[in-house]
Amino acid sequence: MAEPNYAKLRILVADDFSSFRNTVNSMLSGLGVANVVMAANANEMLVQCERARFDIILSDYNLGAGRTGQHVLEELRFRKLIDQATLFILVSAESSRNIVMSTYDCAPDDYLMKPLTTKMLQQRMDRLLLQRSVMAPVYRALQKNDLGAASELLIDLSLAENRYSTSAQKMLGSVFVSMGEWDKAERLYTRALEVRPLEWAQLGLAKVKQVRGELELAGSWLEKIVDENPLYLPAYDVLADNWGMRGDSHNVQFTVQRAVDVSPMSILRQKQLAIVAQENADLVTAADALRKTVKLGQMSCHGTVNDHLNFARVSALGVERDLNLGSNVSSEALAVLKQAEERYELSDAEQAQVHLLNGRIHALNNQPDLAIKAMAEAERLQPAAENIDVELECVSLMLALKQTDKAEERLQELAKLFADDQSALEKLDKFLNEPASDSNRAVVAEINREGIDLYNQSQFDAALDCFEKARKLFPKHVGIQLNIVQALVGKLKIDDTDELALHEYQAALELVASLIDSSHPQFDRYNRLRNRVGALNA
Amino acid sequence: MSKNDSPIDFSMVLASSVHDMKNSVGMLLASLESVISDTPPTNDVQARRFTTLHYEASRINSELIQLLTIYRMQDNHLPVHIDEHYLVDVLEDQVARNHMLIETGALQLQFNCDDELRWYFDSDLIGSVVHNILVNSIRYTKTTIAVSAELVDDLLCITIADDGPGYPDDMLRRPAGLIDEGEVSKGETHLGLYFAERIAALHKQHNREGYIQLANGGDLGGGVFKLFLP
Repeated sequence: MAEPNYAKLRILVADDFSSFRNTVNSMLSGLGVANVVMAANANEMLVQCERARFDIILSDYNLGAGRTGQHVLEELRFRKLIDQATLFILVSAESSRNIVMSTYDCAPDDYLMKPLTTKMLQQRMDRLLLQRSVMAPVYRALQKNDLGAASELLIDLSLAENRYSTSAQKMLGSVFVSMGEWDKAERLYTRALEVRPLEWAQLGLAKVKQVRGELELAGSWLEKIVDENPLYLPAYDVLADNWGMRGDSHNVQFTVQRAVDVSPMSILRQKQLAIVAQENADLVTAADALRKTVKLGQMSCHGTVNDHLNFARVSALGVERDLNLGSNVSSEALAVLKQAEERYELSDAEQAQVHLLNGRIHALNNQPDLAIKAMAEAERLQPAAENIDVELECVSLMLALKQTDKAEERLQELAKLFADDQSALEKLDKFLNEPASDSNRAVVAEINREGIDLYNQSQFDAALDCFEKARKLFPKHVGIQLNIVQALVGKLKIDDTDELALHEYQAALELVASLIDSSHPQFDRYNRLRNRVGALNA
Repeated sequence: MSKNDSPIDFSMVLASSVHDMKNSVGMLLASLESVISDTPPTNDVQARRFTTLHYEASRINSELIQLLTIYRMQDNHLPVHIDEHYLVDVLEDQVARNHMLIETGALQLQFNCDDELRWYFDSDLIGSVVHNILVNSIRYTKTTIAVSAELVDDLLCITIADDGPGYPDDMLRRPAGLIDEGEVSKGETHLGLYFAERIAALHKQHNREGYIQLANGGDLGGGVFKLFLP
């Protein structure tokens, strides 16, 4: 084994205790390392890494109050202050397990348990440095995104039957997957599984089956993997994708929730949960995940102003819909908005949204004076309609102030102003009766076509599922609402004693009534469908 | 659940306080090591005191880790993460972790493991089993400890042997695999062996399951601990 050249290494040692830093420093100098830099906290670490490149970073998990070594690692990688060439070793007094698990998503190159001894340190560094030098050409190829070259190198390494062959195999599998070489990936994983049921190979094989469209098979394998290895987070991601591809948004959320339960400190997973819960209109879960996101964001490079705004938005929606999102969610939301102003440098658009959300919450708390004042402040910051998010926040505030006509008018204006901006129109769609964006028009048309086909084949339940999906996306779309009514009528024709269907039918009609008046182009259709009720009940 | 309708789950309280204690002892050990390296013992008496201090602190530390692990095992919260590992890495780590104990005790260490020997197991769990047994052997041996690993009948066999007085008869007489829970809960002892046995049994492959074996004698004439993993 070639001895690494310690004299040339640059090493950063971080710990909040100076005695520990000194001990490690003297261990390292004893090994011949001349270039050791010390840091006492997270900020000093970041500053040192901005200044220079290190071969090894030895960081304690605990860096005093505030951010941990894990937070620093995430930020260093996120800001690309370090790459694969720098070894990050996390040191901790904990037996590694707890920390390892909570941090699976952004794992350090290795862990060391305190108390450290020179021998432990030397052994570990030797091993890691050697591995790094063996893998270096592969990392270089991957960095250049030269997958072909990387796979050639990895094939040689994985055939070598030495201590690097297994990790080379793991990497080769994912390189094959990225290259779309499904046959090769499948063979590699299958061969690995002949030896042992190793989780990485099980997951790899499930992934291959999944991209090949064998969704149910892949799904059942993935369920088995997470049941047997509940801490193996990457499996949840693939499983959530699996449910997503099968169109089951409920199970997507359930799966993401399970991953969050395993790794509650992961801010990115909390954010993901908030997004899927919002898509499922599960505001209770969304609010909780966003609450945690905001809290974790204080320490993390992944915390953003938007997390604060989203929490306030979801809270306001909860108040509007009379949901219990927490004992005093209004004042909590106001506090979170205030924190956004304290923690971040806000752009004008962000500051305007903070004002508008403040206003909306005041309006919902029956304090229209404060709400109107907040709106004025926002308009001072963003006088022109430039930013669709700000504009829609303003519309929401108008609605909270019960200025319905004004809001409608503004929505019409916005549809014209943003006529050339499809992504803005998509956001606008949620407020409109008919989608304004091409993509959402296509979605509605597609779902409608599918539902109508099913309706024509008298498969009313399937048709209803289809229309319900569209209604979730466009709650104010009159055409979809009427399709639902019509499918329910079909169902009632077969069995007019179906109480549930009758109840749904009436509720759906009421909803349509609140959306249209006699000038609406679909009003006649509405009238016809409404009159069926009488006919059926008679 | 507790019998007297108490709202407190005592085992939970115990587990979390064990967790705190373990971290404190970890800190204690770290400071102790720096004290020893900053001001090395100047005479034999001092050296022996340092060794005792260090040994007892390590023992508390590893017992607390065992307690926590057993607590998690009982609620099935202990996931086993099986992957391929090189034995030389895992064993060298544990020897290095106890380097100071071995040195201050002026013990000889025989290490015998093929550089290329690799096997499938949870390295954290097996590492802590090896650590416990090692700490125990360091306590009881006279001059030498032998650590080795090899394949026997398609099983990995890790052996830790010493030239101390060996295991007491009553421990050897029990049939393989049977440190019963009653004995452990009586507080009697053998927590380390119970732990080793449970961890071994968590390793399964086909129809085989890991186990431990105790004996006296061997090349060194003292206690011989063997851990077999399928």
